Amino acid sequence: MDAARADPARFDALYRKYVAQVYNYAVYELGDHHEAEDATERTFLSALAGLPRFEERALPEDGEGASTFRIWLFRIARNVVNERRRRWRRRPEAPLDLAFTAPDPTDIEHAVVERESAMSAWRAVDRLGGDRRRAVILRFVHEMSTAEIAAILGRSEGAVRVLIHRGLRGVARDLRDRREGRA
Amino acid sequence: MTVGSSARDGEIEALVVDRYLESLLARAPRDTTDVPEDLRATADRLATGLPRYHPSFRFEDELAARLALAAGSATGTIGEVIDFRPPRTRDRGATDDGRGQVRPVVVGGVVTSAAISLAAAWMAWRRGRPPGEPRMRAVRAVARTRIV
Repeated sequence: MDAARADPARFDALYRKYVAQVYNYAVYELGDHHEAEDATERTFLSALAGLPRFEERALPEDGEGASTFRIWLFRIARNVVNERRRRWRRRPEAPLDLAFTAPDPTDIEHAVVERESAMSAWRAVDRLGGDRRRAVILRFVHEMSTAEIAAILGRSEGAVRVLIHRGLRGVARDLRDRREGRA
Repeated sequence: MTVGSSARDGEIEALVVDRYLESLLARAPRDTTDVPEDLRATADRLATGLPRYHPSFRFEDELAARLALAAGSATGTIGEVIDFRPPRTRDRGATDDGRGQVRPVVVGGVVTSAAISLAAAWMAWRRGRPPGEPRMRAVRAVARTRIV
């Protein structure tokens, strides 16, 4: 981190570490691979330009190598995604079935069943909408801590815990209703 | 029960679920007796079922080149070779945490998984392995024959 701030050419290590995470976040937010690529590019270019202004907030007691860089980067990504959404009003909360419609020549029956299960879970998450959906994705896909999610969404940790709890309740109810044919 | 105590119960359950999720995502699930069964089952499903998306390698490398150029212009070293290393193959597996997690990964729109990778590897191994029986050798020889 310090090396990258001192010399932008050293930014590569940070880029390699986080590019997949930022892209993944953008795909879930925008629902389109091309839009996600564009958002990823803008995020890293902004991060590179803003690197001298980045302030490390991690404390020594957080452990060796602890850094708030990922939070800072995801906040940039969130702003980039929001900006794209504002300009792209046709589909503010894009449905995402990309993974589930991609061709898979070596598919087997077990994989199909798993994919069906994943698809229904994903659709239930997608129906949550807003920050509840966002918090669930950051928790389960990015495996972020409650503290990290709170910093990215600009909420308290308690509020994020409640968001995720309600999100899980919503997904569980949705899956149960659909299994029982009530939805 | 008052509205206040109901909200507090909800917060307590949210805290209990949060602790369970912390352990689940650390691959060391704790005792689940205090976590409602439907929430535990849903959490388990989401923890393994939601795919991760990885950019195409071409995009990743092209963006690395553009960032190198931007970094060069920031330091006034345009034209010099900047050490933006080529991507490391080991970073491009189906998992990114090295903890043996099996989760679908989508690379540039193509689904992969540890199971599918294994199936592909097995197919490649089978194709490369000399068949034992003469009949199978004949079948493969015919299959390899191109019609001209």
